[in-house]
Amino acid sequence: MTRKQLRPSLLSRRSLLRGAGTALLGAAGVGLVPGRFSRLLLPEGFGTASAAEDPPHDLFFAGTDGWMWLPETPAVGHFHPDVLAPPPFTTYIFGFRNVTGLTPAQRAAQKLKAQHSAPIWWVPQYDGTNEFRVALTNLGLGIRPDLTDAHTVHWHGFRNVVPFFDGEPSGSFGVPAGRVFVYAFRPRHPGTYMYHCHVEDTEHVQMGMTGIVFVRPLQDGNTALYPSGKYAYNDGDGSTGFDREFVMFLSEVWAESHWCDAHIQLPEWSDYRVDFGLLNGRVWPDTIAPNGSIDPFHPVTDASGDLLPPGGIERLKYQPFSSLVTCNAGERVLLRFANLGFREASMATVGLRLRVVGKDATLLRGRDGTDGSYEAQHLSFGAGEAIDAIFTAPPHSGGSGPDVYVLHDRAYRRSDHAAGGNAGGRRTEIRVFPPGTLPPQGFPNT
Amino acid sequence: MRELRTPLLRCTTLLLLPAAWAIAPAPAAAQAVGVACTTAPGPNPTFTLRVSDGYIQLPDGNTMYMWGYAPAGGGFQHPGPTLCVTAGQTVTVVLQNPSPRPVSIVFPGQEGVTADGALAQPQLDTGGTLTSLAQAAPPGGSVTYSFVAARPGTFPYHSGTDPLTQVRMGLFGALVVRPGVPERAFDRPDSAYTAGEEFMLLLSEIDPLQHYAVEGGLPFDPTTYKPRYWLANGRGFPDTIADNGVPWLPTQPYGALARIHPWSPATHPLPGVVRYLNFGSENYPFHPHGNNGLVVGRDGFALEGPLGEDLAFEKFAINVAPGQTWDVLFQWHDAESYSPGNPVPVTVPSVANLQYGMFYGGSPYLGSTGPLPPGASTLNQCGEYYIITHNHALHQLSAWGGVVMVGPLTYLRIDPPQPNSCP
Repeated sequence: MTRKQLRPSLLSRRSLLRGAGTALLGAAGVGLVPGRFSRLLLPEGFGTASAAEDPPHDLFFAGTDGWMWLPETPAVGHFHPDVLAPPPFTTYIFGFRNVTGLTPAQRAAQKLKAQHSAPIWWVPQYDGTNEFRVALTNLGLGIRPDLTDAHTVHWHGFRNVVPFFDGEPSGSFGVPAGRVFVYAFRPRHPGTYMYHCHVEDTEHVQMGMTGIVFVRPLQDGNTALYPSGKYAYNDGDGSTGFDREFVMFLSEVWAESHWCDAHIQLPEWSDYRVDFGLLNGRVWPDTIAPNGSIDPFHPVTDASGDLLPPGGIERLKYQPFSSLVTCNAGERVLLRFANLGFREASMATVGLRLRVVGKDATLLRGRDGTDGSYEAQHLSFGAGEAIDAIFTAPPHSGGSGPDVYVLHDRAYRRSDHAAGGNAGGRRTEIRVFPPGTLPPQGFPNT
Repeated sequence: MRELRTPLLRCTTLLLLPAAWAIAPAPAAAQAVGVACTTAPGPNPTFTLRVSDGYIQLPDGNTMYMWGYAPAGGGFQHPGPTLCVTAGQTVTVVLQNPSPRPVSIVFPGQEGVTADGALAQPQLDTGGTLTSLAQAAPPGGSVTYSFVAARPGTFPYHSGTDPLTQVRMGLFGALVVRPGVPERAFDRPDSAYTAGEEFMLLLSEIDPLQHYAVEGGLPFDPTTYKPRYWLANGRGFPDTIADNGVPWLPTQPYGALARIHPWSPATHPLPGVVRYLNFGSENYPFHPHGNNGLVVGRDGFALEGPLGEDLAFEKFAINVAPGQTWDVLFQWHDAESYSPGNPVPVTVPSVANLQYGMFYGGSPYLGSTGPLPPGASTLNQCGEYYIITHNHALHQLSAWGGVVMVGPLTYLRIDPPQPNSCP
């Protein structure tokens, strides 16, 4: 369907040309269009949309569909587990994959191999030189070839964004199947953000094209304010210094909508409910299972470019992120929360006090420097909201093994809260070891 | 999933959007978008509101029977008139009630409200059961409320009588109390905003079955309440971006488009303000793209400490609770100043390699337009930017029957710096 010229102004030369192009397209098809138009209409080859002189991108993501695993019981009507799911999986998803460093053939082979949640990545704050570039390609949908959905990367919360790099497809554009677009980011504000595809966003977000991105502050490396030299923000006083960091990404699965997408049906979105509340793409007890390949800059794959099952657990092959928190007594631990479910969550610790130092990628500090951080047991936040909270690991009790503290979503109302002892599926453990037990952290969530 | 959304959006936008800009008379920009005040003369204004009913249009093509507060001399509208007063004024609101049921108004955030001269108080029947949160106007009668609008801020007003029915049927509106100094959200100098950049996002929801029941005089079981529509300023996208008072939305006078220029230290140093209100039954997490709002007030209280310390904070998720109001300053900086002379640091793909949106002008640059795919067109007028702002409980960006990308979403329109070629 062709969009009509809507401007009230007189027809410009451009619009006349457009009209001519439309007529030619409609009458004769692309093959008969004169040279100038046919060049416009022919897509560029896969992976070549960036001209050779562009700087290399830092990350390369692919949007596609796939399958993941959620506990089969309790079943959710005939929607879960999905009878179409290839064993051992249960749930149809859309998602991003990190295809950085893969060959074009390996990249293309990742169609129908989406993961959830999306790759975790982080960016140093822009210092005038270190622009960060993310390429996105669209591998198409393996289960739904009838859908010609574009994909985008929307960096949720990026200040002063220009539409060109916002990934909101009505104000700019989406990336159709087979094409590549490179987003260039100059993030000037440290903190925890999230990202997602913004095409048909009710559907693509629910289907799993969601994850966390965060920005490291320029203050990083200054060991005078905090010994580790690692900070959540440019605080100037070390108050957001930490020894370890863990992302806690909240998403939700409404089984009916996932089933509908796999079975060529449309859900009634006002019927929305949460069947599964996920933590980093998994539910308890998988939340404490090992990580897969999570270093975004050095992804590990098999020869075909596919993911490897975390810890050999085949059903978690496309859910690579562990939520297990491990730390030594006395260390400061930063928890980076972001919620791209549609409902509110109330993340609570049992036995630990959290200090909320930032929200929505903003240090909690008034314009006159007044400290707005606060201590909390429960972190209540809504869809699209991010919270940075720090706890200091309490002294170890002296017994053998780590002391264990639970972190879970206190909003009990979801079917997966029957999982593993009726304390919620969106749950993980914080394990505190005696001082000096664990070496310094290499990557977030390790 | 494209097959359902596309025809709807295209039809509605083809019919409605261009007309918003092309056909509508050209009132001053401050009236076309932004808070459209109903004011009353004198140092102590008196407003007359009349209980009325009528229909609104919904983005899936449905219409909905509503109740509302009509302004003096006006017909039914949804939501009720935005009453604007100045702090310190004694405000009088006369409620006329030609309906067959008692109706009242409560003014959360106002203290010492009187009804016909007596303190506004909960009303009980002889059995001790609550009949109204304040004295009501009886059927065919009236009641006069009065209060001193003591402090600046954004406040709701709504029916206190049978609110599970009357509020949900639409008997609500916004009260804006401005400080004595113009263009400030509060008395604080750091709450100053740009004249003409005062916007409202009044959020609400509708369970159509309740409205059908009321319209048909049938009983409705409130335990079955389930909203199926969500609205901003009484409209769903794409109607949200039409101007205030467009003739094809005769009962939904309030647009939700924000229109600003980029920040400029010399010519545009101050932010705009958005006044959020929630008349629904759950928190609405509103997400303005590209703009961390600076939350300077909630419930009409400036965020400050006992000694005036600044407790304002930035947010990209404005999570407004039922009945709550938030006052949020915002501005957009052209941080990278991308332009044809300072191009984006990526090769701009050819038009065949992108799927273009209806607000995109074909160029990455503010104030520029560029090539579009042959046959394609745009609503973009002068290379302005459109940056979305929407409820992030994304299932609420829908209308009954599976229509998506509607509901409480609107755009921030950023015009190129002046002088520009924008209409």
